[in-house]
Amino acid sequence: MSISALLTQYGDRYLQALFATWRLTAFSFFGAVVIGIVITVLRVCPISPLRVFGNFYVQVFRNIPGAALLILLVYALPYLNIVFPYEICVLIATVLIPSAFCSEHLMSGMNTIHPGQIEAARALGMTFFQIIRRIVIPQALRSSVLPMTNLMVATMLTTSLGSQVPLRPQELTGIVSYINTRSAGGVTAFAISAALYCLTALFIGALGGWIDRKVRILR
Amino acid sequence: MNRPEIQDVLYEAPGPKTRRRIRLFTILALLLLAGLLAAIVRQFAVTGQFQPKYWFFFARLTTWRFLGEGLVTTLGAALVGSALAFGMGFLLMRGKIRGNPVLRWLCTALIEFTRGVPTLLFIYFFFLIVPGTGWKLSAFWKITLPCAISACGVVAEALRSGVNAVPKGQREAALSLGYRETKLFYRIIFPQAIRFVIPSLIAELVIVLKDTTFASIVSCADLMQNAKVLISNYDALLSIYLVVAVIYILINYMLNRLSDRVARLLKGGGSAERRAA
Repeated sequence: MSISALLTQYGDRYLQALFATWRLTAFSFFGAVVIGIVITVLRVCPISPLRVFGNFYVQVFRNIPGAALLILLVYALPYLNIVFPYEICVLIATVLIPSAFCSEHLMSGMNTIHPGQIEAARALGMTFFQIIRRIVIPQALRSSVLPMTNLMVATMLTTSLGSQVPLRPQELTGIVSYINTRSAGGVTAFAISAALYCLTALFIGALGGWIDRKVRILR
Repeated sequence: MNRPEIQDVLYEAPGPKTRRRIRLFTILALLLLAGLLAAIVRQFAVTGQFQPKYWFFFARLTTWRFLGEGLVTTLGAALVGSALAFGMGFLLMRGKIRGNPVLRWLCTALIEFTRGVPTLLFIYFFFLIVPGTGWKLSAFWKITLPCAISACGVVAEALRSGVNAVPKGQREAALSLGYRETKLFYRIIFPQAIRFVIPSLIAELVIVLKDTTFASIVSCADLMQNAKVLISNYDALLSIYLVVAVIYILINYMLNRLSDRVARLLKGGGSAERRAA
């Protein structure tokens, strides 16, 4: 099938799929960063059970394959009388897995902060949560822009999990298998999706590089 | 000079009042986590998921042998895929570093392409398109090849950062000794570069291993696919998927631990050399 024929027949669907991928990526990334920050705070807080929980959480979701997690959410949870719609299942999977990696990036971002800063903050009488909020988190975020950029690309790639369940509208990977089972889209159908993924990744990369130049802490 | 980890400097030795507060919150946190665990266990009990019919077959050797066969396929696909990714990544890295601008542009484009496209898309390509071209591939290769392709760009970039991390003086010294470019690269630069990137190569193995969980799309009998067969045999979905997920997590966890160990070891070795020099 030629590219023009493919686009006239499925152009709208591709556009919807692109927006679906963008939406999933944006929501997942936002959720992953929020949960990643919370988990990171748990991992450095003085309450040891919470530290253990935080580390356990990260190890589980860092190491579970996306397919396995999605299958558990979609097919296994209903046996526990917990049923989520497909879209929510995908969203949960694409939040939980990147959130573990986000916490790892933040931990190594934190380790770039000089201990003297924390001692100074304590000398000024700041409480633990003030130190975390005012000193540690801002610097950890600023020095982890590039890893976070890579995380956002990885999150985008993870959203292809959405092709494993019936989503409406489909995302960019699902649309390709849809087209190829309906009519012989051939290589072109793949090329369009791949190009859209790549352009999105390049855009995220460029944006991340720009933000990094703005906020990077020069030491 | 060794800087302390950030977790250790965030708070100083607590006084009696803080200690009491920490103890209180520790107990509260324990209660909270215990409550969470109890809620999960209760949900399992209420829905009857602890019934022996869902678990008895894990006491059978055949179950584990069958899962083990799947695991061997999974590990095989991950290892072969990683090895292929390493080979292709190496070629891409060489192409990107070498002088010829056309080749450099092509390799850069290929690296960005494989890094920006999800593995699933490659898998669907091998599942839907490749059979139509007359290229006969077994199920094993239909999962291994796309995983390798999807990983090779990342490997190429990792190798390139390793090559860039080798000090310039090494190259200059070798050139002044009369080394040719090829010999220089394989004898001097690459052996040092590979040491920098071994941890990230092991981490890449984890990513390939995770990607192989999609093997059931191309009906390759990996761990996940064999789990599905077990599920239809015993009509026990939750318990089997849960056990399989734990197996995956444990394997990847151990690989990540290995990667950290190797990273520390190589770092320690490097500084020892510098001290000796």
